Amino acid sequence: MVDPSVIRPEIALNDFLPIFVSSSLVLVFGGLYVGIFTAVKVGLLKKWAMPFAYMFWVITSYCLYIMGSLMHVGEFTAKALVVAMIGYLLLPHAVYYMQDQVHEENEH
Amino acid sequence: MANKSVWSDNRFWARSAAWISGFASVLLIWLTFDTSVQISMGTDSDLKNGVTKRVPAPTVINYKITYEMSAKRGHEVPIIGGNDGKGMSLFQEKEKFFGKDDWSEKEAAEMLHLGKLASQTKNCMNCHTLLGNGAYYAPDLTKAWLDPAWSSTGALQPMTGKTTKEEAMAEFLQHPSKYPTHARMMPNLGITEKEARGLVAFLKHMSSIDTNGFPRNFGKMQGAVNGK
Amino acid sequence: MASKLLDNPFTGVGSESRQLATWYFTFAAILFGAQLLFGLVIAIQYVSPGFLFEIIDFSVARMLHINALVVWMVFAMFGSVYWLLPDETGIETVGIKIGKLLYWVFVVAIVIVVLVYLFIQVGPADEMSIWFIHEGREYIEAPRWADLGIVVVALGFVANLFMTGIKGKQTGIITVLMANMIAFAGLYLAGMFFTDNISVDQYWWWWVIHLWVEATWEVFVGALAAYGLIQMIGASRKVVEMWLWIEVAMLFGSGILGLGHHYFWIGTPEYWWEIGALFSALEPLPLVAMFIHVMYDWGKQQGKKSLDGTGESVVNNQPAFLWFWMNAFGNFLGAGVWGFFHTLPQVNLYTHGTQFTSAHGHLSFFGAYATILIGMMYLAIQGKNKIKVMKNTKSSLWALGLTVGGVVGMTIALTISGYVQVLVSRAQMGATWSGYFDGQASVWFAQGMDWRLIMGVVTFAGFIFLIKDFLTTGQNPVHQK
Repeated sequence: MVDPSVIRPEIALNDFLPIFVSSSLVLVFGGLYVGIFTAVKVGLLKKWAMPFAYMFWVITSYCLYIMGSLMHVGEFTAKALVVAMIGYLLLPHAVYYMQDQVHEENEH
Repeated sequence: MANKSVWSDNRFWARSAAWISGFASVLLIWLTFDTSVQISMGTDSDLKNGVTKRVPAPTVINYKITYEMSAKRGHEVPIIGGNDGKGMSLFQEKEKFFGKDDWSEKEAAEMLHLGKLASQTKNCMNCHTLLGNGAYYAPDLTKAWLDPAWSSTGALQPMTGKTTKEEAMAEFLQHPSKYPTHARMMPNLGITEKEARGLVAFLKHMSSIDTNGFPRNFGKMQGAVNGK
Repeated sequence: MASKLLDNPFTGVGSESRQLATWYFTFAAILFGAQLLFGLVIAIQYVSPGFLFEIIDFSVARMLHINALVVWMVFAMFGSVYWLLPDETGIETVGIKIGKLLYWVFVVAIVIVVLVYLFIQVGPADEMSIWFIHEGREYIEAPRWADLGIVVVALGFVANLFMTGIKGKQTGIITVLMANMIAFAGLYLAGMFFTDNISVDQYWWWWVIHLWVEATWEVFVGALAAYGLIQMIGASRKVVEMWLWIEVAMLFGSGILGLGHHYFWIGTPEYWWEIGALFSALEPLPLVAMFIHVMYDWGKQQGKKSLDGTGESVVNNQPAFLWFWMNAFGNFLGAGVWGFFHTLPQVNLYTHGTQFTSAHGHLSFFGAYATILIGMMYLAIQGKNKIKVMKNTKSSLWALGLTVGGVVGMTIALTISGYVQVLVSRAQMGATWSGYFDGQASVWFAQGMDWRLIMGVVTFAGFIFLIKDFLTTGQNPVHQK
């Protein structure tokens, strides 16, 4: 069941720092993506900020890629990560749509 | 209000939350049954019949324990009583523990019981880590039994004036402040000789637990540290 | 809005439930101070190991540090529930007299436990010590007699909550709390028995610790945030409660099986690698979502106000709102970022049991729990003093700035120390005795510990401002009565 490559390839000493930094940045940029997205949608930020939101999504994906390759993740995990990033791209759209529906139905 | 969508219906979300939480809980409970069986303590006959358990019987203290690379699993595993050459235990080679290598099932279990009690009542976990959990003020004890520092060529064993590893460890535990190993000393916790023997049995037993390769590279390198 | 609440005899100052809440908050604040003091003791011991050696050893002070942490948070959580119950259900809490009696039972038990920790410290290796001194299991060290006491108190509390929820109006927030608190109290039972098998021991121990702080406590925070947003900025209950249910689904969906990330190395089978990695990678998602939610509601409400043309703030309690914001942010940063970067098994093999865990622990306990509970205390001060719009004061801002700055500073210092430990003690020396001390001897590690102590003092200074503000802000004329 367990792919031995999960743990086998040792992490190179010099790879620890980039792994820690990139995995933190995954969340930081990921947070910025949904944060800016929501802020633009509710009018806290102007419309022109939207491309920056998507730009942060791209950076997030890149950080995840770095992290995954330095950790030597297996093939299956790599595919799962790709699916996760696509899911993450869609997530705030779905959430905003739902929130707005509730607002519309209850306050107008 | 007529065209209410299911997505904005609180009952839908309440039910989803209940279903998801319920499903996760059931899965966890199911996995717990499986894990409980796998981590239950083995018996003396398991050891005698060469059955590898993740947590072996207390009588594992009668055997020689090492921590070696298993090519199959891709990490180090505890080897009990000699290596068959393929990273599996042979359960053959014995090792004297406080002068005996034939501790009965009952004696060994009693020693381990006392040791586990002592590990809690003496609050080991609030300075040390056990299996990596606890405080970070003192060294990890997961594989302390196998630590090169306690071997006959290590720094700690000769310091206590004892000639075996278990006696050296027991002596240290009883009089830690007599052997200042570091500016950060272990305090005197009133550990009796019997409790100390129990604790050493507990440590030896813990080192035989299959921890999926944690800690990595244990004892592989001594001295040389890359200048970071 | 605030005035409407004050007119209600059950939710006004006369409410006994709210009075009990203030008792809980007061004792929580005292224990918070104790937590910080003992934290300072162990921070000094890292820098100067002779400090209080064999008087209050590291193990004793740390036990007090982390136990005070857990207990003050439980106290503040109970207080928060007693505070919001009348608001949500519209009635006085059922069985409040028993609730008050249990409060005193709880306080007396805690005081006895602390005195025993301090003055008896260790006992012989027998069951008596487990029953009457401590159990020596990190975070849930309380001796067995106190365990039983805690179960009784917790059951009484849950009974209060259930009877009130059933008799009064059962809002979504109350429903979530009712389900959550049952799990919260029930899980404690998993940590009360003794076994010789350390793998089994730690397996169940994590049920309590993890399923508290990464599942039930987080859901509790979600419920408090929902209540706070309705109270402070008048967010729509429908939206807030829908969002709360989504959060519950996400938190329990990821958090329950996220338990797997504690089962990588304690003797448990390898399949926990995959389970732990997958679900703990999902764990930050609800935290991001909670953050977005606060922003969404605030943006919507403030936007509405701006359309009215007045442009004034919709927030009726500035310090509480700031602390709630800190919670949304701190939860994401402490539990999310600091948790995520060492949660995957490939990396956790090297980081497990280093100062990384400690860095994560500091920022996440503070960010996810301390912040919102302090926010609840400010809501209670507002209610108790009949303040319509509560403003920031100099002390409240200093308190926030210093504690947040101090905790973030400690976290960064510990992270640097942890990084050194990973490289030296773990990746190279493989966690041996000498590897451990080589790591500790590194200049970077030692400096990290110095900075941790300095930042600990800063945090404590913030706490002093906080207490000063708690005691004086009620009478401060800046607020709109």
